[in-house]
Amino acid sequence: MALHRGNGLATIEYPTGMNQNGDPSQAWIKVKPDGRVDVFSGTSDIGNGSKTVQSQIVAETIGVPYDWITYDNSNTDSSPMCTGTFASRATFVAGNAVLKAARQVRERILAIAARELEIDPADLEVADGAVSVKGTPAKSMGVDEVAGAATFVHGELLTGDGAHLNPGAAIVDPESGEVDKPPHAAISYAACAATVEVDDETGDVRVLELTQVYDIGRAMNPTLVEGQIEGGAVMGLGFGVLETCYPYYPSVEHRGDGMNTYHVPTMSGLPEINNVLMENPSSGGPYGAKGIGEMANNGQPAAIANAIYDAVGVWISEFPITPERVLAALDAKREGGGEPRREGRVVAFDEELSISAATSAKSWGP
Amino acid sequence: MELNVNSVARTVQSPPLTSLLTVLREELDITSPKAGCESGGCGACTVLVDGQPRRSCLTAVCTLDGADVVTVEGLGTPEDLSRVQQAFIHHYAAQCGFCSDGMVVAATAYVNGGGTDDTDAIGEALAGHFCRCTGYVKILEAVAAAARGDECDVGSTASSANNTYVSIAGGES
Repeated sequence: MALHRGNGLATIEYPTGMNQNGDPSQAWIKVKPDGRVDVFSGTSDIGNGSKTVQSQIVAETIGVPYDWITYDNSNTDSSPMCTGTFASRATFVAGNAVLKAARQVRERILAIAARELEIDPADLEVADGAVSVKGTPAKSMGVDEVAGAATFVHGELLTGDGAHLNPGAAIVDPESGEVDKPPHAAISYAACAATVEVDDETGDVRVLELTQVYDIGRAMNPTLVEGQIEGGAVMGLGFGVLETCYPYYPSVEHRGDGMNTYHVPTMSGLPEINNVLMENPSSGGPYGAKGIGEMANNGQPAAIANAIYDAVGVWISEFPITPERVLAALDAKREGGGEPRREGRVVAFDEELSISAATSAKSWGP
Repeated sequence: MELNVNSVARTVQSPPLTSLLTVLREELDITSPKAGCESGGCGACTVLVDGQPRRSCLTAVCTLDGADVVTVEGLGTPEDLSRVQQAFIHHYAAQCGFCSDGMVVAATAYVNGGGTDDTDAIGEALAGHFCRCTGYVKILEAVAAAARGDECDVGSTASSANNTYVSIAGGES
């Protein structure tokens, strides 16, 4: 028996949002008579922090404190249409919608303030909840006063609406291969390096270290970005060595029939996780943001498989990389199985197969 | 039968084999313990019984007559949070929040029991608590901070120790 150590690398490029049907998000904002801001956006916060990030975008764009913002989280009756929280789209797509709505609100605040202060709106600016004359900060009025004047003096409601729509799926010229529009809104890039230790007697794989670099566009909220990346790392670890997803996912039964049949990583024996977050602003995202949600759990399984090849010279071509699969590959190698097999089984999602597997299979073998 | 729940004496009417989880959630309307797997596997239902962490989903309420039960509501108030709660906020040790109540309760038992900031020891103590969102990194840092007795400012959040930021000047992509 011996322990073998190896290193592996994987790189990822990942799109933000979707192209089908333009992947729309809409947002609506109104300002109450005391200057406090209500945001209506259809993007559910599922723990990813989209409520926080969209509120930050609105506060920054209008020029009011963050705690003036109330975000009506995905109330189906009152919120405008949004495709949903998936495809790494909430910050980028819905964020663009609230950004546009907030710009309109800002313009209307400036217009009312211009009438109140009897000065051209172009000479005004909004910051920290106050409208002031550029270069003459002493001449100013609070956004709350502006909103009060709009309500009780000018008979107006300060609102803004915004929507974001992607250009739709590209048409590819069969001759030249050229596309008629960009394939995706913003592409993110990342790399993941894994260090593993493989036990050639038991087939056990220990992931000792994951080091990752992510092009995140701009960290709108660094804590939330870190949470997505750290969470993705451990999900990717699970997909690499523990979790049997296919053919169950996305059938609702993919979770198995209990916590003892579907293994996820726990807090014990985690690898050391090091992250580099690279800010490389996108041209189309709100304040340079890109999507980070989904790509965060794609690189680790491939990096782990490459590290196992580096350690013991066998390619494991199906996930999860269980001890049984490692031992079978080592046996095949000892028996002179020829060149290492690198191509994996090609699988496409098949709803019938997925449902029948999930409803009939009771064994969760390798 | 009587239970002392979060320092309040409560009389329980549920049948004796009802789980403590169901009693807390359905009869006493204390919803912080979560029904995750309901078979003792995930840790989301953990509460303190006489100071020790227990899976409330596997605990028949008839075994607890007169016991002290503490849920996360009993650890602190918004104005007076416990050390562990402050550390969880400062280190942002939550995303969707489903596991958080059980995590905070178990971490409290770990810290009160003299647990140290050693990562392996914390991992061993809390390995029975599943979290699908965070990757555990910030939870480990929060529990370590609470074990050390760090002052944790709930008005700010800390970056994880192993994360670094790089800016590409003028980068556009």
